[in-house]
Amino acid sequence: MSDVPLRSRFRLGVRLGGARARHVVLAIRVIAGGGIAIFALSTPGFTSPLSINSLLNAISFIGCVAVGMTFITITGNIMSLALGATVSASALVFLASLSLGVFPAFLVAILFGVVITAVQGALVGYIRANPLLVSIAALSLLIGGAAIATGGQRIYPGGEGLQVFKGRVAGIPVEALYFFGTVIIGQFVLSWTRIGREMIMVGSNLRAAIAAGVNTARAITVAYVLAGACSAVSGVLLAARYGSGDMELGTGYDYTAIAAVLVGGTAIGGGSGSVVRTLVGVTVIAIIATVLLLRGFSQQWQYLITGLIVLAVIMLHTIGERR
Amino acid sequence: MTRMAVLLFNPTARPFTVMIGSILLLALIDRGTGFFLSVGTFFSVMQLFATFGLVALGLGLSILIREFDLSVAGIVGLAGCIAVMTGASNPWLGLLLGVGAGLVSGMVQGLIMTRLHLSSVGVTLGGLLTLQGLTYVLTDNKTIAYPNISVALELNAPIGGLVSVRSAACFAVFVLAALAMTWTHIGRDVIATGSDRRAARIAGLNTDRVVIGVFAASGGCAALAGVLLSYSLGAASPVALADVLATAAAAAIVGGVSVVGGRGSPMGIAAGVLTLCILRSGLSAIGVEPAVHDLVTGFILIAIAFLDAPELFRRVTSWRLARAERGVPERKPP
Repeated sequence: MSDVPLRSRFRLGVRLGGARARHVVLAIRVIAGGGIAIFALSTPGFTSPLSINSLLNAISFIGCVAVGMTFITITGNIMSLALGATVSASALVFLASLSLGVFPAFLVAILFGVVITAVQGALVGYIRANPLLVSIAALSLLIGGAAIATGGQRIYPGGEGLQVFKGRVAGIPVEALYFFGTVIIGQFVLSWTRIGREMIMVGSNLRAAIAAGVNTARAITVAYVLAGACSAVSGVLLAARYGSGDMELGTGYDYTAIAAVLVGGTAIGGGSGSVVRTLVGVTVIAIIATVLLLRGFSQQWQYLITGLIVLAVIMLHTIGERR
Repeated sequence: MTRMAVLLFNPTARPFTVMIGSILLLALIDRGTGFFLSVGTFFSVMQLFATFGLVALGLGLSILIREFDLSVAGIVGLAGCIAVMTGASNPWLGLLLGVGAGLVSGMVQGLIMTRLHLSSVGVTLGGLLTLQGLTYVLTDNKTIAYPNISVALELNAPIGGLVSVRSAACFAVFVLAALAMTWTHIGRDVIATGSDRRAARIAGLNTDRVVIGVFAASGGCAALAGVLLSYSLGAASPVALADVLATAAAAAIVGGVSVVGGRGSPMGIAAGVLTLCILRSGLSAIGVEPAVHDLVTGFILIAIAFLDAPELFRRVTSWRLARAERGVPERKPP
């Protein structure tokens, strides 16, 4: 959100030119990545199937939301504070409509998530409403609407067929397969379709995109639509996993998702980044959490150490980007 | 523009219009039953104001300079826990340490941003997670009770039935901030930094110092809110108030702080916070269930987002022109 500095300089006594700074940052990234890998692999029990499975599960739920958040961040709209609530609400919709059969219910849940975020995207895209305020409004409306619709009760499945979204295929948790599918589709849209390139262009320089004749409003709306669809996928997976749902299901997912996006190295100002980077970000955070758990750190130390590492990684990335 | 439109669209006047509008609306719904327009409701509005007001002020100041301080939510929790843990015998010591921790963490984040030229969202997100972690470590993941219950009673004791010591203190900070922003060079510097940082720097303003100062102030405000809240609840828990950040951001933006920077005032922010607090306690005073508050708040936020949208008029005009062209083809401009 801040401006471009007049002159880049490190006040740490070093002055680095563009290319050299990039080399230094690359070296630090490689060393950090290697360090995490060695640290993880040397942890007893990390490579056990149980730990890998729980890692994959943890990645899948939050990862889908983070992929969705990537689209919002990449179009220059910072973040949405309503994605966590969208996850919970679409989980409730999925469970409630399960009597229609599992695939219709899945489609209804996705459609619900898409409509919720499409309205926000249209407001942000077509009349440039403030994305943070719009997302806070959506958060309030979702929480209020859900409380009235459910009467504050937990929602239990109205039909059978939840096992499509849990269990294993060839030893891999199904959730992870859905997540990797989301990543592949997301990256495909971003890199290989016209609308995906337009999203990056809009985030990188809105005025230039308008001048180039890009339909910026449509690009932003589609980014929000994709975010809603991804969040709804996460909601469906969570609903299947827990077998029931309430609005607490996705609480806090917004912050974890944006942390994953930033740790992956997508620029907060928009215009640069990718879904695969977000995959890396989610994985790094999950690996750190698993390693800390296996090494016997208590919950509170896990929070603190994860926070410090996220802060350090974000600093590292932005130093590399801002020249 | 007619006078009504000025009241609604002028960003400086609007926070107050919206606030008075919501008071009138609630009074109308209440229709003289006396549940809404009562001293009790005023008191509870002010108590809510004391909880969210200072956080919104700090966050609003950071939005004013085109940054966004996510870490306020973490600072509220940290400062509350520090105060409760150190201030059992001497509440002033707890207050000092709690607010000090907020000032220092804000300043450190400001230093990181300005020295390394980083964006505030990233740094304060890291800061938020780190501060929350620190709070969990300090409290050992437990709720800490505050034994000195007389402090809690004193803080919440009504003065003249209208305000408590806590809400009066909170309001005093707002007045101080408003005075500083209006009558000293601080206000001018902050507005200049928010409007166009590069121009401000070329004009000879040390914008880095302004940024660090604003983040320190933001941390200090959030910390004060956290300390007062924990003292008056008689307990502090590492589980942060989940909705504090969203509420504070909404209040600041309702209060007329522009997200593109350089526009906004402490009194506007106060009006924004009061609007949300009036809706919350006013609606529950007239017996509306809590879920409806969320809906009403959501609709008001959407309405403000809609009115504030920079492209709204252009879209409406071009839509009208297009319709006129279709309907009355002979009037088509050459």
